Amino acid sequence: MNERKPDDSPLPPSELLSLDHSQLYMRRKLTSSDSNLSVYNFDLLSDENPHIPEDNAPLQGSFSSIVDTYNNLEYTPNSITVDMSQKTCSHCKDGFSNEKIVNTNGELWHTQCFVCAQCFRPFPEGIYYEFEGRKYCEHDFQVLFAPYCGKCGEFVIGRVIKAMNANWHPKCFCCEMCNKQLADYGFIRNQGRALCHDCNAQVKAVGLGKHVCHKCHGVIDEKPLRFRGEVYHAYHFNCTACGTELKSDAREVKSRPGLLANDVNELYCLRCHDKMGIPICGACRRPIEERVVTALGKHWHVEHFVCAKCEKPFLGHRHYEKKGLAYCETHYHQLFGNLCFVCNQVIQVDVFTALNKAWCVHHFACSICDQKLNQKTKFYECDEKPVCKKCNDKFPAEFKRRLRKAHQYTPQRAPV
Amino acid sequence: MSKARKALAEAREIKNPELDLVDKGIHSFEELPGLFNMLNITRLTLSHNRIKDIPPSIAYLVNLEILTLFNNQIEELPVSISSLPKLRILNVGMNRLDSLPRGFGALPVLEVLDLTYNNLNENSLPGNFFMLETLRALYLGDNDFEVLPPEIGQLKNLQILVLRENDLIDVPKEIGELTRLRELHIQANRLTVLPPEIGNLDLVGSKSILKMDFNPWVTPIADQLQVGISHVIDYIRSETYRYLYNRHISTRGPPPPKVNDKSRKISRIKQQG
Repeated sequence: MNERKPDDSPLPPSELLSLDHSQLYMRRKLTSSDSNLSVYNFDLLSDENPHIPEDNAPLQGSFSSIVDTYNNLEYTPNSITVDMSQKTCSHCKDGFSNEKIVNTNGELWHTQCFVCAQCFRPFPEGIYYEFEGRKYCEHDFQVLFAPYCGKCGEFVIGRVIKAMNANWHPKCFCCEMCNKQLADYGFIRNQGRALCHDCNAQVKAVGLGKHVCHKCHGVIDEKPLRFRGEVYHAYHFNCTACGTELKSDAREVKSRPGLLANDVNELYCLRCHDKMGIPICGACRRPIEERVVTALGKHWHVEHFVCAKCEKPFLGHRHYEKKGLAYCETHYHQLFGNLCFVCNQVIQVDVFTALNKAWCVHHFACSICDQKLNQKTKFYECDEKPVCKKCNDKFPAEFKRRLRKAHQYTPQRAPV
Repeated sequence: MSKARKALAEAREIKNPELDLVDKGIHSFEELPGLFNMLNITRLTLSHNRIKDIPPSIAYLVNLEILTLFNNQIEELPVSISSLPKLRILNVGMNRLDSLPRGFGALPVLEVLDLTYNNLNENSLPGNFFMLETLRALYLGDNDFEVLPPEIGQLKNLQILVLRENDLIDVPKEIGELTRLRELHIQANRLTVLPPEIGNLDLVGSKSILKMDFNPWVTPIADQLQVGISHVIDYIRSETYRYLYNRHISTRGPPPPKVNDKSRKISRIKQQG
């Protein structure tokens, strides 16, 4: 960054400035030191004002002072009354006849010789820029020597920011992430981008897979503390109850019921949090702020108390417990077998169990004639289905023989 | 008035949706006039009769959930039976079926299908038979299957599969996909080995039944069976068995001969008249 102001000495370069990097600046510095390079405001001496006071008082019609961009000197032109016959024009070295002459900084010019070295036209509004002994109009000086902004492409008038191998208006040199002006804060080059310190830290942290503390903007190396939707170093906070400095295991206690946002959340150390008696969900191990379900000797978030088989939440529906696990009605019976063989529904009251199956009391019947059976009725078995005596008697003789043979071979499967 | 008509009239009078017409000497549905107008019936039991034909009008009984036709003389079922929208339990055991009608697999909610003691084999099943996804029990005992189609694996809800006393030479490995199976009856077939995939199933728990006697098992399986079913399953799950099985499949000779004498089955006897 390179800056010069007409009425200021150059600012000390900040850590990211390097004046030496600017060739233009070096050139100008060189010239200004040995040739008083300046922009001058000058005046035309006029015949109508032959009597010019000696005391350097500004003349009527003199140009108001104009702040120059590149030079630190400002001159008030003077009209000087001298013996014209002895003087020569600084440009063409000829003498002056009785005509208008220009006097600037002790040099005299024919008016037709006092023109821009580039376009040979008079200087608009009398402002010229001198560089390496030549004078230029503002336009040509800028075209030839002035830097243009890397962002907007306009010439940079006034403060020039030299950075990232280009020149910038102070307004145009911004952080590429947050668009903050960097001129007075400094910047960090990150993969070809100019970033402010905060954004750079963020990018770096994300690259490392770490969080950035919302308070100090430093990278969080240990576990981050989440609070009101942001992440922090835990040590920036103290327990709301006991005041000790927090660690990352601190708990954010959500707002009281009815309060919406989390801006009234508070932080507690683990010990104080436990003392507050907030139940912990048996599934996710997080505190339960809303409705609590208590079952199987634990507390649960409503939506975390689910069937061990299908994992759907019970949401207040009846559940069945078996060996420390909870099941929905369907899966409990599917797994532990109390669906009726006939209606395939959960058996509500009394169950008949036989032949590795279960029946509703009113559905227990002969599998062949659908006659109802009760617990006192004698029945036979065929393919593990119940058969009443009547039906068994009606079986063809060859079939009965085969059944008998099979039962004798496996006596444990004899008729019940 | 015949016994059948009397029962029918009585049921109509008290609007009983469950109709029992067991052992009434019925030869034909013509003896049951107006039956197909009783749209309210949910169960129809016609066991131990002499019915030969089921008329297509059976499909009018749109509320029918249970249809039991055990021990009749039915030779084929009407195609229309597959359109019964609520039929859950169909028992056509001990009849003379040698095929199932085209489109039978379209029954939308069939849960229990009993085809015990008929003359069915793998070629008797219509193409869409294994689309009966709701099926939880399939009784095919006392039939003539030599091969169980591998599509059996599509019956994901099957809990009971009975193939007792068929002529099965093989059980397909797809049976291992029937994860809910807890009853398997394959006794009295021509099986020598079982696919190792059967080890995936829970057939040895207290809630399970595996019957596999009376098969010409290879010696290691027969030896384990002597000790108990659970030993057979443990053995089938072992690497040793997997090796033996692969070797057996690649080198085995002709299948064992049929041993079940079916000539006396009443499903084979053709009635006169």
